[in-house]
Amino acid sequence: MTIRKEQEYLLQQANLRLLNKGAIDRREFLTRTVAAGLGLAGVAAVARGGGIGTAYAQDRPLTPTFYQWIEDLHPGIPTVNGQFPGINYQIAPVEGFGIERFVAEAKDKKSTWDVYVGQTPFVEMSAMAAAGVIEPWDDYIPKDVRDDIIASIGEENLIDGKMYGWPFLLDVIGTGWHSGIIAEAGLPDEAPANWDVYLERAKAVMDSGAAPFGATFDSHGWRSLVPFTHSMSPDVYKNHLFDFTSDAAIEALMLMKKIMAYANPDILLEGATDGGVNGTPDEVAFAAQRVGYYNKYFNAPLRMAQNWDDPNQLHLGPLPKFANGAGSTVFWTTGSALFKYGQNKEKAAEYIKALTYDRQIWKDSIVGTPSGHPGQLPPYKSIYAEWDANPPDWMPPFVSLVRAQLDNAKAIENDIFGLQQFVIGKPIWETYLKGEESDPKVAMQKVMEAVQAEINRGK
Amino acid sequence: MSMAQAVAAHGYGRATSIRQGLAPWVFLLPTLIFFIGYQIYPIVRVIWISFTNYEFLSNEPADWVGFANYIEAINDPLMWQSLWRAALFTIMFLPGTIIFPLLLAVLIDRVTQPRIATVYRVILLIPAVIPSTLVFVLWKWMYNYQVGPINHFLVDVLGLFTVYDAPQWLGGTSLTLPAIAIMEVWWGLGYHTIFFLAGLAAIPKDLPEAARIDGANEWQMFWHVILPRLAPIMMILVVLRFGTAMAVIDEYLIFGGFNRETPTYTWTIFMYDQAFKLGLWRQGFAAAIGMVGAVAMVFVMIFLLRIFRSRD
Repeated sequence: MTIRKEQEYLLQQANLRLLNKGAIDRREFLTRTVAAGLGLAGVAAVARGGGIGTAYAQDRPLTPTFYQWIEDLHPGIPTVNGQFPGINYQIAPVEGFGIERFVAEAKDKKSTWDVYVGQTPFVEMSAMAAAGVIEPWDDYIPKDVRDDIIASIGEENLIDGKMYGWPFLLDVIGTGWHSGIIAEAGLPDEAPANWDVYLERAKAVMDSGAAPFGATFDSHGWRSLVPFTHSMSPDVYKNHLFDFTSDAAIEALMLMKKIMAYANPDILLEGATDGGVNGTPDEVAFAAQRVGYYNKYFNAPLRMAQNWDDPNQLHLGPLPKFANGAGSTVFWTTGSALFKYGQNKEKAAEYIKALTYDRQIWKDSIVGTPSGHPGQLPPYKSIYAEWDANPPDWMPPFVSLVRAQLDNAKAIENDIFGLQQFVIGKPIWETYLKGEESDPKVAMQKVMEAVQAEINRGK
Repeated sequence: MSMAQAVAAHGYGRATSIRQGLAPWVFLLPTLIFFIGYQIYPIVRVIWISFTNYEFLSNEPADWVGFANYIEAINDPLMWQSLWRAALFTIMFLPGTIIFPLLLAVLIDRVTQPRIATVYRVILLIPAVIPSTLVFVLWKWMYNYQVGPINHFLVDVLGLFTVYDAPQWLGGTSLTLPAIAIMEVWWGLGYHTIFFLAGLAAIPKDLPEAARIDGANEWQMFWHVILPRLAPIMMILVVLRFGTAMAVIDEYLIFGGFNRETPTYTWTIFMYDQAFKLGLWRQGFAAAIGMVGAVAMVFVMIFLLRIFRSRD
């Protein structure tokens, strides 16, 4: 290759990268190409890579797509959309967290949408990245915004150091209780400080007859086994997979069995929607005011309490600790993914910035609206600092509580089996919970083996 | 006739013959395109995928792996366990799909007042026209452990159970398959009854009359006159509903989830789990699971067709 041709090639590739990133538009690319003396050769190169089609279609409006529940719970989204004239707002075909459509389009090197709002890192981010569906936000997110994300949340959204998720809605697992039931049982209206106190109080609720059940939790591993484990120690991951045989996990499993003695008997059954993971029996029990204490991400008790005679009787607190435990918990964010073959990437970043900083969305989420009370919180340091400096009169105490928990909480690590390891393991660790296996260590060893066997399938 | 005329006539004859030969194919073309594109191609495609290591999330091209996926599926205890669970549901569901509609049809067929007969038919058909989503929501509520009317009746009205030991109908207990079977029988009751009513209408009126004159009682008439003539209807229903019962997936996804120890984790869920949930979505292996299940079903269908074959 002559020096001249080498220079042309390098310029061509540089422009092509910018075009594919959306950093320059089609017109700019052609201008630069011609200016570099490349002419049709450059255009042909782009056409080969599929870039020219993308460039031509750059004229389409910004097209975000949302998981349905986000729109249902956050009625302020249309107001943000109003700031982006011509936006083509859509609902994503992802019922049950299915990403098939996104993957199928990426295989054809195209995407109907520019950005997906509804990605939970440990659930589907690794799969989307592995399949080449999404690309990192690093080239598009403004530096000040990147720096404003709370460190642990930023960490949660990374794969190999690249930011594949832009966090939006924060959920943290803690404790909720029905203060009416607790008062009737003669118990103090405060969060139990540790699991021993928690169990004593759950028993007291039942013994007093204030409610048929003392406590409940969601039996899906990432909502109970993992946060309970983190309350002992968050250092329980090996190669990004949960170590079921760790001492902390064994303790957590034993704790689950103890809580079950005071829980609704259907606690281990699968839920009503989304392949059994949502609409779970714990939610029904808490909504029906049949249970005193409840451990789940805060938006669950907040939503269920809407069915009570007096939703104000819901009080919230941190997850109890084990004696000598780390006192950590689990958090996750639901955020945005940038489609690799989408368009309008810079515009998408502008939109997600506007969406995630919108103060009305956060007020509605925290205070509640007629359409719901998700209680989900922002991922940015600056918003909490603003609220600390000038506390709004509508601010309930649980916000500072969640924020404080976050400093100690840890996300489930990202892996293609990040979620599925708990789905595979659930029936096996439940043999201990049901009394079919007497040794929790044996049950958890079998879980490890089953997860490993599934990972090794076909290899 | 000159040579040239003979050649021209021969050419004309050949062209006409070709045209006539092609004409049926032109008319058959839409059906052929539909049949090959809509029926044959997907099956061939799935068979082909089942012989590869195709992973939906992987960007690597699929390689031919021969019978490896089939060997893995056949050696996996979950394959047979999940197939057995589907068979168990079919065993629970199929008799209800035949017996109740048959009895109802015989009863309704005897209603002589046309208006009342129509009212019965309409009432019976109501569940069949309810959208599936509504049916699932309704029965999920009915079976709910804590707030469902069935447990409310058993606990609060009859006092047979307490809130601590009431039946757990859905979500993966041993009651889940019978509970789903009851829902399915209710859902299809009117639809299946109409099948039998059509069969009863086709029986010549003089047959039962002749049997009655010969001294046959009601039971003998049902057993020896009516039932044999409904056999073709039964065969259609049994074969059709066997296929749908073995391949149920929506109900299991909604009422059971992905817990491998639950009775609703059948071969269809196993296949779905592998194809759309686990790891890099091993669709080659999932296709092999599907083919093993399909072959097992075909064998049973042949057996059923032999049982219900016409003996006239």
